[in-house]
Amino acid sequence: MEKFLLRNIENPNSADISEYMKAGGYKNISKALALSPQDIMDEIKKSGLRGRGGAGFPTGMKWSFAKADPKFPKYLLCNADEGEPGTFKDRPILEKNPHLLIEGMVISGYVLGSEYGYIYLRGEYPAAADILNAAIKQAYEANYLGDNIGGKGVKFHLAVHQGAGAYICGEETALIESIEGKKGQPRNKPPFPVNVGAWSMPTIVNNVETLSNLPLIIEIGGEAYSNIGSKDCPGPKLYSISGHVKRPGVYELPMGTNLKDIIFTHAGGMRDGSKLKAVIPGGISTPVLPADAIDCAMDFVAMPRAGSMLGSGAIIVMDESVCMVKVAYRALKFFEHESCGKCVPCREGTDWLRKVLERIENGSGKEGDVELLSDIAGIMLGKTFCPLGDGAAGVVMGMIKHFRNEFEEHIKNGKCQ
Amino acid sequence: MITLTINEKEVTLDKPVSVLDAARQAGIKIPTLCWHEALKPYGGCRLCVVEVERMPRLQTACTLMAADGMVVKTESETISKVRRGILEFLLINHPLDCPYCDKAGECELQDLVNKYGPTVGRYKEEKRKVPESHKDQIFARNMERCVVCTRCVRMCNDQQGASAISIMGRGNHSRMEPFSSASFNCEYCGNCLTVCPVGAILSRLYIHSFRPWQVDKEVETICSYCGVGCSVVVQVRDESIKRVIPKIGLGLNKGLLCSRGRFGYEYINSQDRLTTPLVRKNGNLEQSTWSEALSIVADRLSDIKKSEGGKAIAGIASPRCSNEDNYVFQKFMRMTCGSNNIDSISRTGYAAAQKYFEQLLGQGITTNTIEGLKNSELILVVGGDPTAVNPVLGLSIREASRQGAEVVVLGNAKGLDRFMTQQVVPQVFGEAEVLEELLVAVSGAKGLRGEKMDVDSGIRMLSDKYSGKMDLDGFEKLKQSLLESSSTSIVFGTDLVQRSNGHRAIFAVAGLTYLLEARLYMLSDRPNEQGLIDVGCVPDMLPGGRPINIIDFKRKFETEWGGPIPDEAGKTLFEIIEGAKNKDIKALYVMGDNPVFNLPNGPHVIEALQSLEFLVVQDLFLSETARLADVVLPALGWTEKTGTYTNLERRIQLQKKAVNTSSGMEDWKIISEVSGKMGYKMSYSDSEDVMEEIARVSPLYRDLTYREISKGNSLWPYHGEPLRGEIHKLPVMVDSKGEYRADLYISLEKPLFHSGTLSRRSPALIKICPQPTLKINGTAAAKLGLNEGDMVRISTAAGSSEMPVSIDDTIKDNKVLMGNNFEGKGVFNLITYKLDPVTMAPGIEGCEVTIVKL
Amino acid sequence: MFNETVLKEIEEIKARYPDRKSALLPSLYVAQREFGWLSQEAMECVSKALNVPEAMVRGTASFYSMYRHRPAGRHVIQLCTNVSCMILGAEKLVDFLETRYGVQPGGTSQDSRFSLVIMECIGACGTAPAMLVNTDFYDNLSEKRIEEILEKYK
Repeated sequence: MEKFLLRNIENPNSADISEYMKAGGYKNISKALALSPQDIMDEIKKSGLRGRGGAGFPTGMKWSFAKADPKFPKYLLCNADEGEPGTFKDRPILEKNPHLLIEGMVISGYVLGSEYGYIYLRGEYPAAADILNAAIKQAYEANYLGDNIGGKGVKFHLAVHQGAGAYICGEETALIESIEGKKGQPRNKPPFPVNVGAWSMPTIVNNVETLSNLPLIIEIGGEAYSNIGSKDCPGPKLYSISGHVKRPGVYELPMGTNLKDIIFTHAGGMRDGSKLKAVIPGGISTPVLPADAIDCAMDFVAMPRAGSMLGSGAIIVMDESVCMVKVAYRALKFFEHESCGKCVPCREGTDWLRKVLERIENGSGKEGDVELLSDIAGIMLGKTFCPLGDGAAGVVMGMIKHFRNEFEEHIKNGKCQ
Repeated sequence: MITLTINEKEVTLDKPVSVLDAARQAGIKIPTLCWHEALKPYGGCRLCVVEVERMPRLQTACTLMAADGMVVKTESETISKVRRGILEFLLINHPLDCPYCDKAGECELQDLVNKYGPTVGRYKEEKRKVPESHKDQIFARNMERCVVCTRCVRMCNDQQGASAISIMGRGNHSRMEPFSSASFNCEYCGNCLTVCPVGAILSRLYIHSFRPWQVDKEVETICSYCGVGCSVVVQVRDESIKRVIPKIGLGLNKGLLCSRGRFGYEYINSQDRLTTPLVRKNGNLEQSTWSEALSIVADRLSDIKKSEGGKAIAGIASPRCSNEDNYVFQKFMRMTCGSNNIDSISRTGYAAAQKYFEQLLGQGITTNTIEGLKNSELILVVGGDPTAVNPVLGLSIREASRQGAEVVVLGNAKGLDRFMTQQVVPQVFGEAEVLEELLVAVSGAKGLRGEKMDVDSGIRMLSDKYSGKMDLDGFEKLKQSLLESSSTSIVFGTDLVQRSNGHRAIFAVAGLTYLLEARLYMLSDRPNEQGLIDVGCVPDMLPGGRPINIIDFKRKFETEWGGPIPDEAGKTLFEIIEGAKNKDIKALYVMGDNPVFNLPNGPHVIEALQSLEFLVVQDLFLSETARLADVVLPALGWTEKTGTYTNLERRIQLQKKAVNTSSGMEDWKIISEVSGKMGYKMSYSDSEDVMEEIARVSPLYRDLTYREISKGNSLWPYHGEPLRGEIHKLPVMVDSKGEYRADLYISLEKPLFHSGTLSRRSPALIKICPQPTLKINGTAAAKLGLNEGDMVRISTAAGSSEMPVSIDDTIKDNKVLMGNNFEGKGVFNLITYKLDPVTMAPGIEGCEVTIVKL
Repeated sequence: MFNETVLKEIEEIKARYPDRKSALLPSLYVAQREFGWLSQEAMECVSKALNVPEAMVRGTASFYSMYRHRPAGRHVIQLCTNVSCMILGAEKLVDFLETRYGVQPGGTSQDSRFSLVIMECIGACGTAPAMLVNTDFYDNLSEKRIEEILEKYK
């Protein structure tokens, strides 16, 4: 497939506006401004674009809610808080192709009637901050940002807001709290951000990858876009693959590419002749799949059927050397560290799960600990304020479901086989 | 109309509410922990989960809005399992120290675990350890018991607006900090105590002194501190006050309190209370008996009345005493002593302004409720910091600000620093001029209303002098805001009354109120400033606001009271002081006040009182004034007696007796005893009996009974009719811009934590604010080379004092501020005054000060 | 106190947002840069500059893991140990840093040269293990490579 999101990134100067424009960049803004916002909205709906952040919500629908709200100003927030462990798909866009994102955001702002955009960039990407700020400066100079974009009287201002190390800020309402200068703790919904979001105004929060798809939709039209990849959730998709494969990295492939193909064809299969043991298919919050369960399409529809989720499309490949108890323990250490503390089941549950996993991993597990883990995860699942706690519970449940014997051996023998 | 089914019971709602509220309306209790009725729903504890048909997962009832046709189940095996699980989670790090914890018995977690919790816990690892903190003098903080419900944080941010508490850390390392220390803006309202469901925040005033179930009496009454009159509940054990708490939903404060109201009650049990009457013998005050003391008072007053006439006797009533006390006092002065020389400390501010407002507008008090303040579109605050003078009223202004109202402060108001949308800082003491220019500007844009001829003509007079323009930052913006707002409130503090031409500011505010059809609120530092005026403790009015010079009114009272009332209006407060000094006044009766300390130029007041032939003081303490008296009579105080108080919004409320005490007598009773001995019999059986008479003679309190008052909705009627007739000749308004060229001027600070005589005998308030400080802004401090805490000598023409400085950058002009709260360290000792010819209030502006670092 | 230049920078940050509170996170970064860490004084400065209550400043600062609440060494190493890095040996690198440079997770070496912060995912899973030294990014780490890299940070 021809690359779009990662077009030109081998060029060492790809982040520069002139290189971007040489490769055809920013022409979709002029094309978009010639259309009415409603026409573009129709194209987006036709394209079938779904949010790339993990939830897969239809973008056109989300936008129409915000558009229908009569309050102004409206805010467009780009979620660049790519924090899901295993995920590094947005990073090449942010660092190598920032103008694509800016172009996507300008078009989005025009469609939504939003004049102010912010890129909520995770604090762990300091280099990306510099690159984005430089790109924004260039875009202002080239009049792709400002009060009169393309001489058409369209106004859009954009700034980078750096996070400071909190995974939860990837949740859209937590992100909004954080941009307002508060702790990143999720808000009650309803009201939804499309009605009462940042600074109490209608707010659209979209992932970097989602917004970067906008120029493509303008370029080829919604119809053609909808023919790329899976029928139910079309378009190009960035998969990040890491772990024990020969060629880890970010791959732009049609949505719904088979997981097995991604691992064995695109990423070159297992490294050093090792044997595949398990795959976490969509970032650490998605349930693990054993080696024999990976023949499935990587999209929002097929993955739940296979017993996991597409998540951010972050594939972590593990070979036989990996101890699943240790992975579970490390994952829960992460969730415990990142739990915002707002709701009881997540705050206390992640702590307790981590402690039980820690003692099993240390060789002092007790009989009944597997049941205890299941119980704790069971109390959490579906009862936490936001999906973070669900993720933590789901990871433990998935691990126990597929690798129960490893846990039991650990408890019995005090260590791995 | 929304109809839903909860536990097979049909519930109909008139307005959309949460499922939790809908269930409560239907009498179905859903367990909660992070939810609190005074706070917005949070959704953190997850205990209120319910099953809703056609919804895939359990829903939290506190955050889910009830919808038509919804079918809800609040109890089921699944739900119980979740609740049990959540409570197990909550206990894993909980110390389970109920036997030692003061909260046991009223702990929400304890109750929930008892009902829904597991019987054994499966958690085997070590519990989180956080040492209990006793660093603060008022709060004990135990973060092991904390359940991170954030109720305290939400209370502090969203209701109180102090924002002194925050969650530190995240996840299971979350803990609440810091609750205290002035640097974190803690206002010591203690409202966090009200909402903490567990023993994480406790008051050190009563820690380990009783168990909740040992309270043997709970009395709903009102606070004794300021003119708001918040409702409180006094909890008593063995005739001693254990705790003062608010009750959610009760009273106009709706469960909120300030530091004085919550922690300032201990003065009543002070060791310094007077226990027996004192009589001056051979120059010294000596213990005496009631019968001896009362006879001396009656005899001396009778002698003076006989030899010098009633005019030689004067009385100072008290805005801290009840309507009944004050009513009996003025009746005694008029009927028994034959004098209209009755006034009070309130003349220094509230009463002075009230009278002039009434002359101008026909009423001298707000026509609205405090609660209504928060519905304003624009609130203009002048002449004081409402959050310090009347803290709970101040909260309404903060709430309005949160709801998007414009809050404009003219001058300084520290407590509104983060809530004001605009601040206009006039030249020092130049507020009146700004208000006059604003008035001229507004009348220029809106025209005159033609309803009040005198006010109109006054505005016309001003329009000849002023242009309605001003070279002052923010003036134009403020003018525009005032013109655009369709619902304006003006909050008027008495700082502007205490000017030698204070009537100018009052006129300008009255004019603005009139032209903008604004709502006027007058701040009031003491609990019964309005009531004492209502019952006639002013030299020119009989109870019910009836002018003494209208013969029909006077006759009516003479018939009622059975005797003649002197014809002429009596002397105002400062005329009484001058009269004492000139020996026109021979005897002074002071009920429940301390003029030596509470009036400017203390040395002058002492001199005047020492010139008297006879001074009688009745009070709780041997105050600076009582020390000069010939007879001192011990009175009863708050919680020791029953009586009514009228707050600054005209609400008449009942202050109730809660404890029995052996010494002291009600003020009205002491006076009626003296009166009887002087030959005018007053035979009231109790304070209710006095109220019956007030309700009979006063048109404002007509037909009021204690029973009616107890309902809490007795606001005296407002008819808008002028009571004293409008003024017909406007006093010449002084057209001086004022020459204030000195580097620094000293002004009165009204602090949040103190009110003077009572607060300085309350150990808790002393702990919060142990000593007086001189407030100075950073720029002025830097010029003088002063750092926070440096000791300085403060000198004025009137005297000098020494104290540490405290740097306060919310002071935006060249004033330094000092309170009048600590014995021997009051600012009034350093300030002389000049009376405003119209209001007869003391002008204390323009007092130059020199500050030297020691 | 912040100097004039910093106050100006904060004013510029404030101008980016509809309200002053939103400038808190970026202003905390500025304070951290100026003071090296978020000392009491640093947070008071932020509180004053934004007129945001100090408790809120402190609470917010404490929520985010990239603000430092202790003085740090001259160079801050932020090493990821999350699953993708872990399965490729990140934990051994933590041990290496401790034995070779005397710096423990969450601590600072005796010579104040390095502070070590264990990070959750820094988005370099494809080239794991990875770390940031101050704001410089390094990946495909091994003990040898770390030694080479850290040579530059004295």
